[in-house]
Amino acid sequence: MELTQDYLARLDAVQPKELPSDLDLFDEATATRGIRLNKAAYSLKDEPQRDLFHKDEEAWMEQFGLTDEEKDLVRRRDWIGLWRAGMSIYVMVKLSGVTDTPLPEIGKQMRESGGANG
Amino acid sequence: MARVVGGIGASHAPSMEHIYDAGEEVRSSDEWQPLFGPFKQVADWLEELRPDRLVVVYNDHMDQFFLDAYPTFALGVADTYPVADEGFGARPFPPLPGDSKLGWHIARSLVADEFDITICQALEVDHGVISPLPMVDFSEGEGGWKIPIVPLAVNVILHPLPSPLRCWKLGQALRRAILSFEDDLRVVVVGTGGLSHQLTGPRFGQVTPDWDQEFMRLLAEEPESLTKYTYKQLIELGGTESVEVVNWLAMRGALPEDAKPLVTAYYAHRIMGYGLQTFEVAA
Repeated sequence: MELTQDYLARLDAVQPKELPSDLDLFDEATATRGIRLNKAAYSLKDEPQRDLFHKDEEAWMEQFGLTDEEKDLVRRRDWIGLWRAGMSIYVMVKLSGVTDTPLPEIGKQMRESGGANG
Repeated sequence: MARVVGGIGASHAPSMEHIYDAGEEVRSSDEWQPLFGPFKQVADWLEELRPDRLVVVYNDHMDQFFLDAYPTFALGVADTYPVADEGFGARPFPPLPGDSKLGWHIARSLVADEFDITICQALEVDHGVISPLPMVDFSEGEGGWKIPIVPLAVNVILHPLPSPLRCWKLGQALRRAILSFEDDLRVVVVGTGGLSHQLTGPRFGQVTPDWDQEFMRLLAEEPESLTKYTYKQLIELGGTESVEVVNWLAMRGALPEDAKPLVTAYYAHRIMGYGLQTFEVAA
């Protein structure tokens, strides 16, 4: 058979399956779900985007085609909601920066979240 | 010909930047001495070893690379590497000096060895490089950066990730690339990241010191055994973000088998298992 044990082991090695429910990954599902939110938060590495965020948050959000639900998560600083909607922690820290939210506060909410699926 | 004269494994974290930037008094405080003291030992060792180049295997945190085109492996071939603005303004360090000639040579050699890296003529480095590097490679005041670098970025954040075995083999290919470089350079290979940390979910902040210390023991004594760990195991043992330790594995793969650990330090503090390990290579 072409699909050897060796190949199947290699395929298995690049991405975990069936993690315990209190652990999560950034992968196909999250990257797909979070595609707009990640683009938005990533933009904040540039100072003009941070300035726009502070000046007019709605105009800032308009640039990225966020859904109404996603905009609402940003407005409410709903870190758990943003995480479940697919936002990577590495761009979330950029959003936490412009909103003056310390990482320990996000961490506290994470610990109480009950997991990625609620 | 170039030689690999040593290796360094070091955690990277924004917290290390905050403490470094807060000044010597904070660095040498009771709280931070367990981390910054060993870094001073490594700086002294490096001063004595006087390498000509550092090849830094690290990972970016969506500060240079983004999901629109995310490279599995990316290599710098530039002569300078500016410090990335991670969303808070860039740290006030001058750009790091690079070595385009060595970079391009490594690029050719890795591709010849079937590591089809993304070749970067412009690359901004984030805390994956510049949280540990000032502690060992920077003179405050007039001096600035001491040793030119070649950065090699590994995807450890968007699954699928290159397997631990693949990263080990990347290190071995990197070794061949260095050994086949025509100039008489002394190179230290650095791997950054880890050790245990978890930044999402109910386990946020979890640190697992027993595993971290076992990891450093295995890296020193039986590094190839680490290539048999799956990402599932690594994540369960050290947390989702701890998979950065494959950068250390690549570093170790670039060293000769009989490389010996010299400085080994570990400090579990707040939400990080901070590790630091240097390897000595017989002349």
